[in-house]
Amino acid sequence: MKILIDGIEIEAQPGETILEATRRTGIHIPTLCYHEAFGGQGSCRFCMVEVTKNGSSRVVASCTYPVNDGIEVKTSTPQIDKIRRNIAMLLYKRAPNSLFMQTLYKEYLCTENNLVEDPYEKCILCRLCVNACAAMGASAISTVMRGTDKRVATPYDDASAACIGCAACAEVCPTGCIEVQEDNNIRRIWNRDFTMVACEECGKNFATREQLAYIADRSKQEADADELRLCTNCRRKVLARKLETFNG
Amino acid sequence: MDKILVVQPEKCTGCRTCELVCSYTHTGEINPARARISVFSFERVGFSTPVVCQQCTSAACMAVCPVGAISRDNNGAMVVNHDRCLRCKMCAIACPLGATLYDYVEDKMVKCDLCGGDPACVKLCPSGAISYQDANAANFTKRKDYAARFKDVYEEVG
Ligand code: SF4
Ligand code: SF4
Ligand code: SF4
Ligand code: FES
Repeated sequence: MKILIDGIEIEAQPGETILEATRRTGIHIPTLCYHEAFGGQGSCRFCMVEVTKNGSSRVVASCTYPVNDGIEVKTSTPQIDKIRRNIAMLLYKRAPNSLFMQTLYKEYLCTENNLVEDPYEKCILCRLCVNACAAMGASAISTVMRGTDKRVATPYDDASAACIGCAACAEVCPTGCIEVQEDNNIRRIWNRDFTMVACEECGKNFATREQLAYIADRSKQEADADELRLCTNCRRKVLARKLETFNG
Repeated sequence: MDKILVVQPEKCTGCRTCELVCSYTHTGEINPARARISVFSFERVGFSTPVVCQQCTSAACMAVCPVGAISRDNNGAMVVNHDRCLRCKMCAIACPLGATLYDYVEDKMVKCDLCGGDPACVKLCPSGAISYQDANAANFTKRKDYAARFKDVYEEVG
C-alpha cells in the first residue's frame, strides 16, 4: 500500500506501524519508550504524528499506529512540536538528574523553572528495562506504585531470586539510572550481590554464575564446559594453543 | 553451500596483517584491538594462528540472544542487528571460540561478518593462511560445527 510521509510517497507493508515505515525512509521520528527489540509501547507519546485520511486529521502514537492505505502522515507540525515539548518538560520535571533529560529539555527549548520534584531522580519510566528483563526470561523488575510515586523495582525492593545479574536492564536504559557496581568479584545490581566467575586462565571476572546457567540452558552447552570457564580472550588463546599442539 | 573462513596455521607467519585489514575495513581505524579476527603467536615454538568466528551451524550466539538480534545473512554469516541488540553481551559470553566481541568505541557487539561475502583478510593475507571455502570442505576434522571441532581439539590433545 502507498502512504505519504512528509510529502514523500512510500510503499508500506500491511501490519507495520507508521514508525517502522517511516524509519525505512530515513525520516526521523523521535521516540523514548520504543526499542526495535520490543516494538511500540505507546506510553511516552513522544512519537506522536499527525495522520490525515479522507480529509480528517488526528494525532496518534506512530510506534503503535498501524499504517493503512492512503493515509498522509506529518511528522512535525506546530501542534506536534508543542506536544513533544510538553513531554520533554514533564519528563525533565520527573527525572532532572539524568543528563539525557537535561539535554532533551534544552533541545526542545523548554524554559519552565521550579519544576523539579526529586532532584536525584533519573528514571523516565520508559519501561525498556522491564521489557529487557522479561526478554531475558527473568522478569525480576516491574513498575510499582502509582502516580508520581511510580517507579521500577524488584518486588518489595528485595534482592530478587529471579535476577541473573546480566545488567541488560542497565544497558538498555536511555538515562543511565540503573546502578551496577563491580567490586573485586562482586557485582551488585538491584540490591543483590552476585559472585563473579573468574576466568580459569587469566583470573578476570567475566560473568555471573547465573549468566552462565542461562547460557548453558539456551545454547545446550554444559554449564561447566571448558569454554564457559574462560573469558572471551582466553577462549581464543587456548584454542590457538590447542591448535598448535594439534598440528604437532 | 555456505562458505566460511578456513585457517591453515602451518602457513601463518604471525604478521598480523589480517587483524589490521579487518579493523580498517570495519572501523576505518588500524587498531588490532578492534579487529574481528585475532592472531596468537607462541614465540617459543614458533607457532602462529588466526582465530575467527566459524559461523557455526548451531550458533550459540544466536541461541542465547534474548531478542533475536543475531541471524544468518545470505552469505551464511551470523550478523548482529545493532538496532535490535540490547548490549547484554550474552552472545559474547556464550561463543565457545570467544569470537563475538564488544566494541567500546562504537558501543556495539561485533563479530566476523565475512565482509558481506568478500573477506578482506583472505585477500590480503600474504601467506594464504586464510581461505574462504565451503563449510564442510577442507577443514580440521570435516565437521560442520566448529564448536564441536574445538571440543575435538580439546579432547584429542587435552
Ligand atoms: S540484571 Fe537482573 S533485573 Fe536486570 S535485566 Fe538482568 S535479570 Fe533482569
Ligand atoms: S530505569 Fe531506565 S529503562 Fe527503566 S524505566 Fe527507568 S529510564 Fe526506562
Ligand atoms: S548483546 Fe545484543 S546481540 Fe548479543 S545477546 Fe544481547 S541482545 Fe543479543
Ligand atoms: S515511542 Fe511511541 S509512545 Fe513512546
